Amino acid sequence: MKLSRFLPLLVALGFAAPVAVFAAEATDGETAARITALDIAGAFSNDGYKIRDGHWAGTLKPKEKFVSMLVNLYAGNQYYFSLGTEKPAKVALAVFDETGKKASGDPFREGEKTAAGVAPTVSGPYYVTLRLLEGEATSFCLLYSYK
Amino acid sequence: MTCPRRLLCSAFAALAPLCAWAAGPPAPTPTVVAVAAEESLSPAEMKAATQTDAMSVPTPGELFAALGKQCKPNWASQFRPGVNTALSNRAQIALNLGGLIADGYVAVEAMDAGQVKNIGRDILMLGRSLGISKEIIERGQTITTFAENNEWNALKEELEATQNEVKAAMEKIRDEDLVTLISLGGWIRGTEVVCGIIGDNFSDASASLIRQPAVVAYLRLKLSALSPKVKADPLIVSLDGQLAEIERLVSFPLGTSAGKDDVKKLKDAAGALVKEIGKKG
Repeated sequence: MKLSRFLPLLVALGFAAPVAVFAAEATDGETAARITALDIAGAFSNDGYKIRDGHWAGTLKPKEKFVSMLVNLYAGNQYYFSLGTEKPAKVALAVFDETGKKASGDPFREGEKTAAGVAPTVSGPYYVTLRLLEGEATSFCLLYSYK
Repeated sequence: MTCPRRLLCSAFAALAPLCAWAAGPPAPTPTVVAVAAEESLSPAEMKAATQTDAMSVPTPGELFAALGKQCKPNWASQFRPGVNTALSNRAQIALNLGGLIADGYVAVEAMDAGQVKNIGRDILMLGRSLGISKEIIERGQTITTFAENNEWNALKEELEATQNEVKAAMEKIRDEDLVTLISLGGWIRGTEVVCGIIGDNFSDASASLIRQPAVVAYLRLKLSALSPKVKADPLIVSLDGQLAEIERLVSFPLGTSAGKDDVKKLKDAAGALVKEIGKKG
């Protein structure tokens, strides 16, 4: 049998497996935010970063302290977190280590796009936080790349 | 819209002072605004963080990338004989699929088209049992060409490009238990592989990669949320018990590293689970 019979399925399962595919249907706003997030992540791909398949989407609201996501990162890898919003917004994007100390540098921001990099020195859990600083409530989508 | 290249340059320029690895060409007119963020998180704030499969469970590719920076892995040394595909228990099939997926990553890292083919055959057999979308099988002539021509870098890029279509196909299945078990099976097999390579190339830096307490805790949490029928499956009950020991092995304190014996213990524990998952009921 030809390799073509199997590779697509291998690929399919391999990349889809860790993905939470049962979240609620994405809204139009989240879809727009995701396109923006993929746009900025695509730029990092030019420098050898692989986009991790999977994303986090929701809504950022004014006066909300922040929303946070736990990720597990490996020492030695370099990561970029790319955030897209539906509307232009000033968002604080930061990554913290498991002691609660900030691990990322100041984020890059332009319009609906925000990104922050981190190069962990310790493997383990990290926390990504998003806080809407300026702007009206907006859908967001966060994804990350690594190399 | 900003062109990606310019955006990349801008982003790198902004981060360069803080991240030594982010050196890039200077941006002509970087549009960068540093915004204030929290300076630290409290334990309660960390505990309240959301976790999802999509973001919180690392892919084998991420782990293998980190490992590749610590040593020169002999990926082919981690190949294993074909798995038992004559299974009818959906939970067991899903766990085995996860393990095969990890094997697929190993085969790609080893750049072994023959191994990819063998693993693909086994996945196809198990995938059909779970009703994996048939149209996915039809894709991939380009990928096949890359694999047969040993164009592995191009192959990886092509794999990435298929992600969205694949996710759409998986969404049709709408079986959350299945996704949990595929993730778990993949993590267990990936852990066995990584421990095997670390054992062959031991260093404190490589051994530190097995420190993944939050991953195991999360996977155990997901197991506890399985549907009652699946949760009562004797295989799942057994796995859950053994994962408690594995969680202990990957939970060494911050600032310390696992010893060679610890790595071997974890490899043996993960290997035992892989065998149990593959055993015919």
